Amino acid sequence: MKISLTWLKHYVDLDGITTEQLVETLPMIGLEVEGVESTALPQFEKLVVGEVLSREQHPNADRLGVCMVDVGAEEPQQIVCGASNYKVGDRIPVALPGCKLPGDFKIKKSKLRGVPSNGMMCSAKELGMGEDHSGLLILEQRPEIGTPINDVFPGGETVIELELTANRGDCLSHIGVAREVAAAFDRELTLPKVKQHPGEGEGLISGVEVQSEACPLYTAASIKGVKIAPSPDWLREAIEAIGLRPINNVVDVTNYVLHETGQPLHAFDAAKIKGGKIIVRQAQDGEQIKTLDEVERKLTAADTVIADAERALVVAGVMGSIEAEVDDSTVDIVLESAYFRAGAVRGTTRRLNLFTDSSHRFSRDVDPAGVDFAARRCIDLILQVAGGTVVGKTITMGEAPRADRTIEITPDYVRRVCGFKVEDEAIAAAFTRLGFKVDSNAYQWRVLVPSFRPEVDRPIDLVEEFIRLHGSAQIPSASVKAVGLSREDDPLAVFNRKAVEKLAGAAFAECSHYTLVDGKELATWFGQDRADVLQLDNPLTSEMSHLRPSLIPGLLDALRLNFNKGNAPARLCETGRVFRSVDGKVSELASVGFVMVVDDGQRRWREREQPDFYTAKQIVGELAALAGVKPEKLEYALLEGEPLWQPDHAAHASCWKKTGYKAFAGMVNVSALKVWDIDSMVIAGELILDPSLLAKERKPVRLEKFSNFPPSTKDLALIVDADTPAESVRSQIAKAAAEATGEGFSADGVSVFDQYAGEGLPEGKKSLGFAIRFRAADRTLKDKEVNQAFDQIQAAIKEAGYEVRG
Amino acid sequence: MKEELAAIVLEVESTAPGIARRADFEAFKATISGPNGKLTAVMKGMKNVPKEDKPAMGQLINQAKQQVEAYYAETLERIEATELAAKLGPAIDPTLPSPDIGPGSLHPLTQTRRRMEEAFRKVGFTVAEGPEVETEWFCFDALNTPEDHPARDAQDTLFMPADAAIENVSKRGDERYILRSHTSTVQIRTMLKEKPPLRIISPGRVFRRDTTDATHSANFHQMEGLYVDKNVTIVDLKAILDYFVAEIFGKGSEVRLRPSFFPFTEPSFELDMKTPNLGKLSNQWIELGGCGMVDPNVFKSVGYDPQEWSGYAFGMGIERIAMIVHGIDDIRYFYQNDLRFLQQFA
Repeated sequence: MKISLTWLKHYVDLDGITTEQLVETLPMIGLEVEGVESTALPQFEKLVVGEVLSREQHPNADRLGVCMVDVGAEEPQQIVCGASNYKVGDRIPVALPGCKLPGDFKIKKSKLRGVPSNGMMCSAKELGMGEDHSGLLILEQRPEIGTPINDVFPGGETVIELELTANRGDCLSHIGVAREVAAAFDRELTLPKVKQHPGEGEGLISGVEVQSEACPLYTAASIKGVKIAPSPDWLREAIEAIGLRPINNVVDVTNYVLHETGQPLHAFDAAKIKGGKIIVRQAQDGEQIKTLDEVERKLTAADTVIADAERALVVAGVMGSIEAEVDDSTVDIVLESAYFRAGAVRGTTRRLNLFTDSSHRFSRDVDPAGVDFAARRCIDLILQVAGGTVVGKTITMGEAPRADRTIEITPDYVRRVCGFKVEDEAIAAAFTRLGFKVDSNAYQWRVLVPSFRPEVDRPIDLVEEFIRLHGSAQIPSASVKAVGLSREDDPLAVFNRKAVEKLAGAAFAECSHYTLVDGKELATWFGQDRADVLQLDNPLTSEMSHLRPSLIPGLLDALRLNFNKGNAPARLCETGRVFRSVDGKVSELASVGFVMVVDDGQRRWREREQPDFYTAKQIVGELAALAGVKPEKLEYALLEGEPLWQPDHAAHASCWKKTGYKAFAGMVNVSALKVWDIDSMVIAGELILDPSLLAKERKPVRLEKFSNFPPSTKDLALIVDADTPAESVRSQIAKAAAEATGEGFSADGVSVFDQYAGEGLPEGKKSLGFAIRFRAADRTLKDKEVNQAFDQIQAAIKEAGYEVRG
Repeated sequence: MKEELAAIVLEVESTAPGIARRADFEAFKATISGPNGKLTAVMKGMKNVPKEDKPAMGQLINQAKQQVEAYYAETLERIEATELAAKLGPAIDPTLPSPDIGPGSLHPLTQTRRRMEEAFRKVGFTVAEGPEVETEWFCFDALNTPEDHPARDAQDTLFMPADAAIENVSKRGDERYILRSHTSTVQIRTMLKEKPPLRIISPGRVFRRDTTDATHSANFHQMEGLYVDKNVTIVDLKAILDYFVAEIFGKGSEVRLRPSFFPFTEPSFELDMKTPNLGKLSNQWIELGGCGMVDPNVFKSVGYDPQEWSGYAFGMGIERIAMIVHGIDDIRYFYQNDLRFLQQFA
């Protein structure tokens, strides 16, 4: 919001306060300054008042004149000029040789089409005083010849742009800001004097009918016989200073009063009110109105309109219709000053996406007590600039929805919240300066807060007012009160920390991608059904329309980017939330994901082994262990029907819905990599966790005794179908081994150490080699007992249908 | 016999130095000292030696044996040295780069978040977590933000569809699911779960319905702090912020509290910081975040008695702090994941 200092000075004396001081002070009382604009003239040298003594036609150019100009020097100066709006005897600004105009334009002695010219007569624009470039700036007030131009325009206008917080609707006006400035600098606030307008005879309308709940207070005054014309200079300048476009005297006055008092007003052309009556009602669903900005708008029953007998004339509190506009033919006007409920106007203004000075103020809750003041101020000014007479009594419907109120507070309470010593008087002074009335006769003070501060409602709100005025710089320094920790970091934070630490230690670069992803891409890699339940209701863009179900696509994006940039990416990882669904119900899960390129495109003087599924499996297992899940609990199976993963080369384990965790590992689908435009094959892994799993208390692990005697190992090779999972065989051997041992000694490990297919084996078969390790707790095992157990295991395995390789 | 022994020793002496491989050595050794070896045969011949000659003969054999074994040891040592040399390969070139990939790195946001977490942990704050998909009640109502507050509008906040079901995120009533616009929601969930006194920070991801540009991001990260205890004052608030700013930006940094407005704190302030060692940004006020005293209405909504408990809260952008500390001028860098960016701050 723009505040003109010239304007501000009407209400508060700014003598001795520089613009800099003001700009530094306002933010410290809660009014943020966005910027300062000054239209004051820059300091010019050799730019003086001159008088045109004569004008001759230029011999070589039709459009140019050759003038003799008195600039207060001994001799008049010859100046060639292209303007035509001046006459001999006019006084104008003259830039003499050596003067520098805005835009680093230096004036020199020169010749224009062969005729010498010793300077330049200037337009307003050339001085940086606005946009008028149609001709010379004629100095109507005829200042002394030779006067420096800066002395002619000493002031200029300074405008401060404020960015106000949502609670400070009271500052959306010059008087509101003046009140704050007066409080901050402890000065007097002077409000304009307004008159009573009893109004003779009959008003222009027969009445106002308020049907809408959104309008608890409505007033209408009638002014007959106004003369619509351009505004006088003072009004036009004031309006222009804050960036508004002057329209006509009546409309300009309503705008002026809005920016002066913060109360929006509306002037109706009385002739355009059909049926002679104003009705404040809800719009009908689908009702149309063409607003002043010439847009046809469709209303709903949630919107309020000001209507006549036939149609809506104004979207209440937002904008008038083009049909009821005050125009050059207007003679009689009805002036509305009303209170519309903040929520109602906010709803309408957002629904219509139509934000006006009026709706902005109503949305922030105008002062009901200001309705009458603003109306009277507006009438005073209309009568002053447009003439006319007030007829009839002001019609007032309803009453102010809220008034001044009293808050009880003790100065001790203020001190208790603040935590530092401050005198009663200083507290009371802050309130008084803000225009609050303090009754401090009893221990419990009674503070009367005027209705223009609706948000100051509780003792704590008064503390805020105190600290704001007293100055936050007065808060003393102190040391932090720190006592021992009784709480631990959330287990999810701890897990993420450890996970990313582990991955960074294994050469992964941690990434961070947006949580929101493109719905189409999501459907491609995860299916339409899964995508549908992850869709947002009101996404801003289609690229960010859905919640992500996995970190892998983002990491592939990062691989692509880094390949494209020639960064030779090798290993990337990320931790973050993902969203998964079962039966249309979504859960928010924690995830840690990683990708490894098989060929990073870098040439090396020595080759290293490339990652594969088993590399990913190992990493996922270690991450699972950080979450308290034993890696061996991850029972992997080949992934099927997952477009993101390469069939036969990727696997998943467990189900987050049942166990709280799920693991993926393997090769990213080669066709997906084509879409991503990644040349290398990519191995990926992801561990997804329900955060509640991590919250489970973990018991300390108890020692399991181990044998000090040497183990004895037997190897067993089996020929099985090529697609038999090794684990299914291993677990059977382990089971047989457990049965074959038992008393006194045990098989304390069965592991796969070899897999072979090819020469020497039938097509479709493979050989698996297992090592069975026996150990006893109390002795070195004898060959005999080991052999006996091994025979028994082989027999059991053969019985289970496996062929033992010779 | 004597001659035989001398011949054996000579044979070993002349042959052993020429043996290069362990297998050849073992084979040769067998011809001398193996069960059928020449030296073994001589030793076996001892039984035929007359008794009186045995001591002298035994001495000779021992001598020969020692000599032979010395050659063996020497040869074996030589072979082992050769083998080891073969195993070791040529000398390394210590100036060659490692062909291994790496190093890994922590994202700059992770690094900044940790610095912040560590600073707060020193004075007793621990991390609390909460869901990113939240509900209106936790994000707004409980935080004293009324129904018609502009921040709640679909213009600024991302909503899930009205019929969305998020199984592991609890609702208060039948309010809508949204993406949290600040991590103050974590304060609410933590206060509902835990009893005061409380000192938590909640670093996490938040969402705004903003067009992405150099200073706006569809998601970014905040760290909010909450302190609840008896008789907490504005002086305490100032103290923690003074401490934090000195920890992150160094001694000599100043804090300024600029009055402002947030629905969930009263009084509310913007947190400004000024520090002498920040390049172009030195010695000017820089906004870091917001703070204030917890509004009594927030305590009421979580069932804490505002007469008994008081507290302060603060919040700041993690990206913002990282940008200030590292001189990063575009928030999009954090989400582009260019390795030249990711690994620059390690």
